[in-house]
Amino acid sequence: MEFDTLLSARALMGLSLVFHTFFTPLGIGLPLLLFMAEGMALWKKDERYRQLARAWTPAVGLLFAVGAVSGTVLSFELGLLWPRFMEYAGGIIGMPFSLEGFAFFTEAIFLAVYIYGWNRMSAFAHWLVTIPIVISSAVSAVFVISANAWMNVPEGFRVVDGQVVDVNPWDAMFNAAWLHQAIHGTLASYVVTGFAVAAAYAWLTWRKKPVAHPRLALQLAMVVAAVSIPLQIVAGDFAAKRVAELQPVKFAAMEGQYETQRGAPLRIGGIPVDGETRFAIEIPKMLSWLGYGDLDAEVMGLNDVPPEDRPNELLTHLSFQVMVGAGFALLFIAGWYWAAWWRRRGVAPGWMPGRALSAALVASGFLAFAALQTGWFVTEFGRQPWVVYGYLRTADGVTEREGILGFFILFTLLYIVISVALVVALVKWPHGPRRAARLPGAAGKEAEGVA
Amino acid sequence: MSPELAAAGVALVAVMMYAVFGGADFGGGAWSLLASGPRKAEQRLALEKAIGPVWETNHVWLILLVVTLFVVFPAAYAVIFEALYVPLFLALVGIVARGAAFAFRHYGNRESRLARQSLQWFSWASVLTPFTFGLVIGAVTGGHIEVEGTTVLSGAFAGWLRPFALMCGLIGLLICAFLAASFMVARTEGELREDFRRRAIAASLALGAATTAAIPVAAWDADAFASHLDDARVVGAMGVTALLGLAGLWALRTRRYRLAPPLAAATVAGVVGAWGLAQEPYLLANALTYEAAAAERITVVSFLVALPIGALILIPSLWLLYWTFSRDTLRGEEVAH
Repeated sequence: MEFDTLLSARALMGLSLVFHTFFTPLGIGLPLLLFMAEGMALWKKDERYRQLARAWTPAVGLLFAVGAVSGTVLSFELGLLWPRFMEYAGGIIGMPFSLEGFAFFTEAIFLAVYIYGWNRMSAFAHWLVTIPIVISSAVSAVFVISANAWMNVPEGFRVVDGQVVDVNPWDAMFNAAWLHQAIHGTLASYVVTGFAVAAAYAWLTWRKKPVAHPRLALQLAMVVAAVSIPLQIVAGDFAAKRVAELQPVKFAAMEGQYETQRGAPLRIGGIPVDGETRFAIEIPKMLSWLGYGDLDAEVMGLNDVPPEDRPNELLTHLSFQVMVGAGFALLFIAGWYWAAWWRRRGVAPGWMPGRALSAALVASGFLAFAALQTGWFVTEFGRQPWVVYGYLRTADGVTEREGILGFFILFTLLYIVISVALVVALVKWPHGPRRAARLPGAAGKEAEGVA
Repeated sequence: MSPELAAAGVALVAVMMYAVFGGADFGGGAWSLLASGPRKAEQRLALEKAIGPVWETNHVWLILLVVTLFVVFPAAYAVIFEALYVPLFLALVGIVARGAAFAFRHYGNRESRLARQSLQWFSWASVLTPFTFGLVIGAVTGGHIEVEGTTVLSGAFAGWLRPFALMCGLIGLLICAFLAASFMVARTEGELREDFRRRAIAASLALGAATTAAIPVAAWDADAFASHLDDARVVGAMGVTALLGLAGLWALRTRRYRLAPPLAAATVAGVVGAWGLAQEPYLLANALTYEAAAAERITVVSFLVALPIGALILIPSLWLLYWTFSRDTLRGEEVAH
């Protein structure tokens, strides 16, 4: 019975997190695109950029709204599903959560001013409004990720006779894992947004849908994508080194490393089951070098960890492989796009990607989300069976209430309905300049200009 | 005043703000469901336009409340959410359905089938959520949830399916209806305004009746609450609230349109305030005091230090938002599109 509740609670929490993290990266990344588009409109005195921002605004509102309600779900589910965990951790790690609350509040306010301010403020003021949105959304990501980092590397308290004492909420917030997780997690939002927007425009133009200024939109999106993806890969390397140091068990599961060994090989692909990682391409000594900067460094293996303290190595390793593979594929696609653009610059002013590149760009949207979700899988599966690493097991944090499976089914259905509705709403979106007639007012009027 | 008491006060203010702003928002959905008469469509459109720019912000107060609970009173957060998981899950279903449906209707293509279906989801969820929150408030106050330490002993249905909790659910709904109609009186004109004025008067009478009836119901079913009725502060707060309510009714009767919304908001804040005073020193009646539920002192103090810094950013921003959209929303051009 206990197992049922634990499994249902994990499934419901996982489902809610996956659903939520489809929207959050866009809530962080799209404001940056709005900032860039409106900034370009002012700088280049080119109204087409403002029309782009105008066309994106309702989609931003919709995605942000669904992200906000799915975030409310998480704030409830922490108590509904994991009351023992929150009782243990709330007072230690609540600080970044409450600061995140403020940042999110600020984002919601300025986003409302932005969305409804098209008719009410000057073009310059409207551009200024994007700045607090960009900042507060990134800051709120950093705060909430720092809470997750604490679960991986708990600091800022002591346990004496089973009681939490000597709490220091600031030490807990700035734990050893917060920096690499915050950088890697926040950059991921820009990667996802860049490629997702590029994918949307590549698909729309490929299918010959009427879209306003697809070339400009694609370029803005690919600027964000091409700047963020190499940074993200560097940040990922930094994160892996920190994990190797701070959470060697997670590192071993990520890499499918069973035996503790010096000069451990890097495994690309492969299936770790029954104490062996089969079918992997092995690059000798590379793992020791990547993890510790030394070809002969010792890498701890899973066999040195008691079975009850090990994460599921299959899920962790495969998720990690998908994330890394998708990351490099994205780097390649970004390079391909800009190389193709470079060859035709000046020669073909109205250049749009051809079929093969369009297909790759469409795929990049899916790859970016796959990398984001599997990246979270690595963090979360890799920490199991602990909810607070080394202190509180997930099984000890769960609710004692029954019937969680029923709520899991209910929310699954609800999320399916919302996802279908969302796809319908976005697919049937009026992409063209059809609504231009409804744009009186200062910033709106200018956006109307060329259309 | 101890830091714990101050933090409990912050939580109470968050409940008040959520009741006033979120309540008006839910009420908009409820009146959308109850739209009737020759101006049915206009009523719905006016409600939607009034909610549009502020609905997201209105609901952040809930997040602020939840966050305050789990930062400063983690034991209370854990116990209350574990004990009342059924109504809270139901409220959550309502919140998700409502938020998503509103977004689809508001940002999507208005003439689509999706938009029409969304309106139904939105309206029903607007009734479900405040009612279940009322049940939770009633259960937290009623004193029927048994706890030992931080372990919940009573069953999944304890506390929230009792007369007093159901009464609180009804009051929750009426608060929303009263607020939304009173706010709309100041935001509309002509016949439409009369529609909302009649609705506001009806809701204020019903709310007055329900809050009055709640007292004998509490005496019968909720000792924990009723035992506070000899506390002069609680009785005083209730008296002030009653006077505010009557003033609101007078403003509506005499068509003082600009006075109606602030008086309605003050009345609702008074109802929540009186409830909060009657809770002291408990967060969960007869089970968990705010002192017993509090996190370590340093966490409480850090939270209280962070609060004014956050407020320094939030208050001007909120002012900008409401200032930008409180004027001429309904005479203005098409919003959101």
